[in-house]
Parts: sequence; structure tokens; C-alpha cells
Amino acid sequence: MSLASAALEARRLTIGYGGAPVVRGVDLMIPRGSIYALIGPAASGKTSLLRTFNLLALDVDRARVEGEVLVAGEPILGRDVDRARHRRRVGMVFATPQPLPGSIAHNLTFGPRLAGVRARSELAAIAESSLRLAQLWDEVKDRLEAPARALSGGQQQRLCLARTLALDPEIILLDEPCSGLDPIATLKIEDAMRSLRERITWVLVTNNTKQAARVSDRTAFLLSGELVEAGPTDQLFTRPSDRRTGDYLEGRFG
Amino acid sequence: MTPRRSLLSPRRAQTVARVVLWTLTLTALAILGFILAFVLGHGLPRVGLAFLLEAPVDGGRAGGVATIVVGTLEVTALGLVTATPLGLGTAVYLVEYTREGRFTRLIRFGADCLAGVPSIIFGLFGFVLFVLTLGFGWSILAGGLTLAFMMLPTIIRTSEEALRAVPAGYRDVALSLGASKWQSIRKVVLPAALPGVVTGLVLSLGRAIGETAAVIFTAGSSLPRRIPRTVFEGTRTLSVHFYQLAREGISADNAYATAAVLVLAISLINVTAYAAMNRFIRRFA
Repeated sequence: MSLASAALEARRLTIGYGGAPVVRGVDLMIPRGSIYALIGPAASGKTSLLRTFNLLALDVDRARVEGEVLVAGEPILGRDVDRARHRRRVGMVFATPQPLPGSIAHNLTFGPRLAGVRARSELAAIAESSLRLAQLWDEVKDRLEAPARALSGGQQQRLCLARTLALDPEIILLDEPCSGLDPIATLKIEDAMRSLRERITWVLVTNNTKQAARVSDRTAFLLSGELVEAGPTDQLFTRPSDRRTGDYLEGRFG
Repeated sequence: MTPRRSLLSPRRAQTVARVVLWTLTLTALAILGFILAFVLGHGLPRVGLAFLLEAPVDGGRAGGVATIVVGTLEVTALGLVTATPLGLGTAVYLVEYTREGRFTRLIRFGADCLAGVPSIIFGLFGFVLFVLTLGFGWSILAGGLTLAFMMLPTIIRTSEEALRAVPAGYRDVALSLGASKWQSIRKVVLPAALPGVVTGLVLSLGRAIGETAAVIFTAGSSLPRRIPRTVFEGTRTLSVHFYQLAREGISADNAYATAAVLVLAISLINVTAYAAMNRFIRRFA
């Protein structure tokens, strides 16, 4: 795989919050146009990785980060990086559906309006297309002005996905996006991911190994902040090269 | 050791607790009801349109309270307008821009101390600083600024609580959608905190509008000869007017009527503010 096909790359990435680092020397290569799963037990550093890719770790969690993260070959950890612009390219969906107060439409146009889109027709078009991509359009098209909180949990999470899609990102980071959802809502999110894989690279943190096996092309297994192994999902699930990976997948710890 | 037998069975203790708590609640309500009934009962019959629209005559023995009502509103509004940006700004800084530490504890401790300072000390301070040193004289300006100082701690603490109650996730979401920190505060955090902030403003407004000691030294106590037109004119506030009428034995009737106007004004402000806030919440959330 050539370097140019990497959507996201981490090199010797170490992340800490003042004490012992929670991620240590992780190297990851996430190919463009794939669904990449990060699995591992609690405190393995999955969420820290995601929040570093989105730079929230730096701005909100005050993490200390060493090493390099590259998006499409460009380093992003430097001081001179425009973080708002970076977050429009690398979107994020959080574990709990977190609609902002206000209507469905308000949630969808929040990002585009910050990015400078003013025309109502354009905003409406963005809202519709991103709702369609997140497979939510049919359910909400008649009540775009209704409060986002009135939606069910599964709908809220698809709204959050649509809200991220509205910025037309290259990469979307998903932090256990289905942990609170029922199986049907989960399937809808997975369908959306699969159907958009051509244009968007997905990085999925999940505690549900079955989900990783179901949707991802490649999987990385993390343990206590270290990368144990990474590879094509079927290979990792059927013939893990590290004993600890096998143990985790079979539920022997975690 | 044998377990001591309780005097009451748990069930009976539960009944007693309920009766006692109910009685305490009722007492608290009764005190409020008594004050309201007493003030309004004595004062309201004398409050008419004329009382509200006429200036006081003969030191308040006759006439109404029009000039005083306007003066009171001006002093209080000036206080609110000054204290709100100061207090809210401090709260935003404390919650959003600093990490919990010695410095924030110091600021919070300072605000709490400020809240504990008796109002007459604020009055004295305002008198020395605004009336004398800065040369504002007894004026709406001096009174309003002094009230602002008094309102500040309440506004800081209530705004701080309101901001802290905004889910951390909102900030993450706003940033992740390309907002700068300030945009996330202005467009997401502040609107979400607004109901709590407004509650704090209304609370401190209610305290300020009835404040006597702090304004008698700063806004003055002489009757305004006309509706104040600039902030450099002095005024007498409703509570000071009431105090003068009652203490100098000028007119008990008009004293009660003034008190009734004051109580009604405070209730009106509270009701309007909460109604406006509820409408805002319904529209926004």
C-alpha cells in the first residue's frame, strides 16, 4: 500500500494526560476509503486516539501528545494547523447521541453556517442530502423544524451522523456510536457507513467485536495503550498473529 | 449490648416526619403570605392610577410616587446593565477558560466574601468612591454602580452554576463541527445556560430594587423635583421613600401604599422574567 492511499496515519503516537501515557508509540495506517475498526478492552486508549485525530484531546482534554498524525500526508499536530478546518475534514460522532438544543434543521446547518454557508437554499440542500446519506430523511422530512430532542435515540444518533456528513468530511471518527442503540438502529448506521465507504474513510471505535467483524475492512487491536496487531479484519478475527488478540476475541479477558 | 428499642416504630416515625416537615413548609409559606397580605392589605387600597402617575407633594404627605418609581427603575436598571456583563464575563472566564485551581478558588472566595458584605458597607464605599472621589454627587449613576457591585457576587455564582450545568458534550460537538472555542461558547453554551443565568439576574434584581442602605448614601434621599432625565441627577428609591415616610411619621398611609407598589413591582418583574424565560426555553430546546 503506497503512502498516498493513507487517509490517516499515526506515527509513534504517544498520548498522556500528565501521568503515565495512555497511548504508547502507536503506529497506524488507515487506508483511504475503508472502514477501520479499533477494538480493545476499556482503558486501551481507543478513545484517546480518536480524540487526538480530531484534536479535541489537545483543545479540551489538555492531552500531551508526541509523535505524528498525518491526514492525507499532512501533519496535523502542529500549532500552525487551522483546527476548525481540520475538524471539518475529520468529523466525529460521539458515543451518546448529542443533538444540540434546537431543531433538526438547526443541528444540520450548524456546521455549514460556521463554515460560511449563508444561502437558505444551499443550507436546505445540505440538510436534505446529509439526512438522506444518514438514512434519516424519510423519517423526519416533514418535521425539520421540530426539536431534535424529540427524536428517538437511534434517530438522534443518525442525526448526529448527518450533522457530521453535512460538512462533507474526508474522514469520520465514530466513538462507539452504537453503544446505546438497539440492533435495528445499529444496522442503519452500519448501512450508511458501508454505502459511503467510497468517499469517506471511517474509523470506528467499538467495544462490540461482532460489529467490527461485521462492518470493518481492517481492524486494529489495542491493549493498555499499545497496538497489539492490525490487519485485514477477517485475518485478524480468524488467524490472529498475537495470542492476546485471540484471547480478547474469545472473551478471555477485557 | 442489646439494641436500644426505638420509641417509635419506623412507620410511626415516618408519619411524624411527614407531619413535622409539612408544618415547617406551611410555616414558611404562612410568613410569606402574612407579609404580602399585611403590606398589600394596608397599601393597595390607596394605590390607584393617580398615585402611580403623580409626583409626591409636600414631602410625600400627598401626591403619588411617579418620580420615585422612575428613579428606582433607573438606578436598578443601571445596576443590572453594569453588573451583568461583569458577572457573566467573570463566570464564563472561570468555567470555560481556567482550570479548577488556586486562582479560581480565590476568585470564588472573593465573590462569596463580597456577597456577605452588609449593604450599608456597600453604601459607604459607593459614597466615598462615586459620590465624593469621582464627584458624581448623589446621583442615579452612583447609586446604580453601587448596586452593581452588590449584585455582582450573585450574578457570578448563579451564572457559573448555569454554565457548569451545560453538558460537556455540547462543547465537544460544537468544536467537532468546526466552531472555535468562542463560537462554541457564544452559539451553544451561553444559549443553553441562559435560563439559569436569567434566574440569577432576576434574583439579584429583586434584591437590588428593594435595597435601601446602599442607595440612601449614593443615590440620595431627597425627593426628586421631576422625573430624572440624566444619570447625574439624584433620586429617592421606593424603599428609601418608604423608610422616610414611615420613620419621619410623614404619612403612614402613603408609606404602606409605597410598600405595596414596591412589592408589586418585584412580583411583576419575577413573573415577567420567568414567563419570558419559559417561552425562550420552549422555542430553543
